Amino acid sequence: MKIIAFILMLAVVASAGKYDKVKITPDMPYIYVYHKGKAVKVHRIQNTKHKLSGEYAKIYRPGKDIQPIKTHKDIQTIGEVEVLQFMSKKGNKKKGLLVDLRPKKVYKKESIPSAVNIPYETKDNKVKIKKILKILGAKRKSDGSLDTSRALDIAFYCDGLWSEKSPEFIKTFLDLGYPAEKILYYRGGMQMWKILGFTTVTNK
Amino acid sequence: MRLSYLATLALSTLIANANIAEIVEGMPYVEVEADGKTYKIERVQKEDSYLTNTFALTSRPSPPFFIEPFTVSDGVETYGELEVLDFISKKKGLFIDARLANWFAKSAIPSAVNIPFKLFLSETPEREKVLKDLGGEYAKSGDWDFTHAKTILLYCNGAWCGQSPTAINALIDLGYPKSKMKYYRGGMQSWQLLGLTTIIPKETK
Repeated sequence: MKIIAFILMLAVVASAGKYDKVKITPDMPYIYVYHKGKAVKVHRIQNTKHKLSGEYAKIYRPGKDIQPIKTHKDIQTIGEVEVLQFMSKKGNKKKGLLVDLRPKKVYKKESIPSAVNIPYETKDNKVKIKKILKILGAKRKSDGSLDTSRALDIAFYCDGLWSEKSPEFIKTFLDLGYPAEKILYYRGGMQMWKILGFTTVTNK
Repeated sequence: MRLSYLATLALSTLIANANIAEIVEGMPYVEVEADGKTYKIERVQKEDSYLTNTFALTSRPSPPFFIEPFTVSDGVETYGELEVLDFISKKKGLFIDARLANWFAKSAIPSAVNIPFKLFLSETPEREKVLKDLGGEYAKSGDWDFTHAKTILLYCNGAWCGQSPTAINALIDLGYPKSKMKYYRGGMQSWQLLGLTTIIPKETK
């Protein structure tokens, strides 16, 4: 009898753990994404007393212009819900790539799950850009134009609202001939991701 | 030699009086008017400032708190901070804080008027008054006619807050044109995370 009660109790505790009390949307308490070949559960910090601290809680940002809500008339700006949709509909199906434009050092420390790192400075390195375009599935045709019919969709992010890295990098990609409809801009970036308590991963 | 010394001195005096952290380069602050007062909106100028108040909280229980989509409804434009500043400094319409009064009383964005979202949810004399203030009229059919209504910009606590989206959806149901509504999704949280000025609104009425 005691054992049954104990098992029942265990079951209650276990199932309670399955349901997040801090959810993403009413229909989406969490999602799974692949990060470097491993499945990662992306949800939110469940401790309702948790406050953001450290570098991303900093509010003094000299020389860091607030970025407009739209970076280009044809580029869609997205929020966290749309980033998650991108992960499950594109990223998980190898049809899209989430790209972190921050320096390698900060990316290694922490990033959004499933993101790959293309440091911002890469945009001035023609050899590397050529390689990246190839990896993304964009082919340079003999007439010099870019064949992107089979290229991946990309969602770019950087530090966030006050960083011009994504806007500038997106400009570079548009100049290279990457189509606007295959590019998304997650303006909130790492800072908003963290202040909303979303899961992050390390990249050691 | 002497000239360069003077130039340096002049430059450092200039810097001491100017905002080091600008909104964008060349725009150190924005002035907005409301109730006959002028408010200066700028960014935090103190080194090593961090967000530590309740807006630093990452997680709030669901329901009622969920992450809001980027767009409330197709046709309702989502604004960021620069678009908000442009809207309020040029007085392009009415700037509405859609939070319940207790939230608003603690801190708000300068020049915002508080119209709590709940007011839009049921047919009351208060709602009728607000809709008329916004420029709504009764059509012959008895429905609301918002042909001459004001453009409104709504915000609440931020990406995790459903108060302004709820107000916008209620207004859509009443027939308010989507093109006359704007949504500042970042709200109080993003505003403060960027170190932008907030005020403690005075009791009105």
